[in-house]
Amino acid sequence: MNQKLYLSVFLVALIIGLMAALQFRTTNFIEQGVPLGRSQELSVDLNQLNAEKKQLETEVKDLTQKIQQTTKGQASGRQDAYPTLAKEVLVGELKKARLGAGLTAVSGPGIEITLDNPSAEQNKGLEDTMFAIRDEDLLHLVNELNGAGAEAVSINGQRILATSEIRWAAPFINVNLTRIAPPYHILTIGSPKNLTSALEISGGLAEYLQSLGAKVKIQPYENLTVPGYTAPIEFRYAKPTKGE
Amino acid sequence: MGILAWVIILGGLAIGVLVGLNVPFLIPQLYAKYLSVAILAALDSVFGGIRAAMEDSYDNTIFLTGFFSNALLAAGLAFIGERLGMDLYLAAVVAFGVRLFQNLAIIRRHLLKK
Repeated sequence: MNQKLYLSVFLVALIIGLMAALQFRTTNFIEQGVPLGRSQELSVDLNQLNAEKKQLETEVKDLTQKIQQTTKGQASGRQDAYPTLAKEVLVGELKKARLGAGLTAVSGPGIEITLDNPSAEQNKGLEDTMFAIRDEDLLHLVNELNGAGAEAVSINGQRILATSEIRWAAPFINVNLTRIAPPYHILTIGSPKNLTSALEISGGLAEYLQSLGAKVKIQPYENLTVPGYTAPIEFRYAKPTKGE
Repeated sequence: MGILAWVIILGGLAIGVLVGLNVPFLIPQLYAKYLSVAILAALDSVFGGIRAAMEDSYDNTIFLTGFFSNALLAAGLAFIGERLGMDLYLAAVVAFGVRLFQNLAIIRRHLLKK
């Protein structure tokens, strides 16, 4: 009986000592290392970063391939100059494309046309024919300017692009989905002489608008800046064809 | 309790600690929590046993089964709590902690009465 008792007490003491020592070591080890919650957090981060890395790697592969294709297309030049040369070509191409698309602000000689509705005082005599500049008038104007070799046109800060609309959305006019209000300042870059004469030709648009009562002012400039289109351009339906 | 008993208890503890400090493996971090609760339950059983011995109502079988079942139950409770997203091990910590102190207090009184 007594032996059994001693044996069980010994066993219990042994187990407690063992567990306490193990736990002591484990706790010490944990304190030296990273706590459990933190390590889980970090492993989540790691997974995310791995996915990101994979994505970036495919991007790198794609871009390298493009660079290789570009360098292949170059017949002359030293071997080691290929990458920088190709980059220059690409950057130049990009700049050209952005310029053509109207995404960058441009400056140069041109004219500023200021259009305003007739004031109330002027309208007194002809109240029944109350005239206001409408979208068609601005469309005509832009059309005339483009016909006269305008290289960049903006209306009240809205750059006119290939996709720009000039639309009557009473009581305002929308350009690039932005409301604009009179007075309308149209900035145009091109030959000031050509542009001015295109508008001021006898029977031309300026005369026509003035005859309706609008105030038209044309001012040539040595150097003016037309802002670029700032909103993102989305192509939801159009896809480039494989020919290019 | 003679000197032999103390020798056995301390000897067992010492051997256990030595083995524990020298085994080549560690408890994984995940299970460290369960082990700590199990240790608490085991300590509670031990103090319960000492108290019973002082009250002359010590039963070896009850002591042994209580020791193992308490430890396993506490660890199991912590494990289930973890699975259920609930800190059930806190219940074990509180329950065994309170009992441990109660036992200690009773043991202290017995010692003082002597």
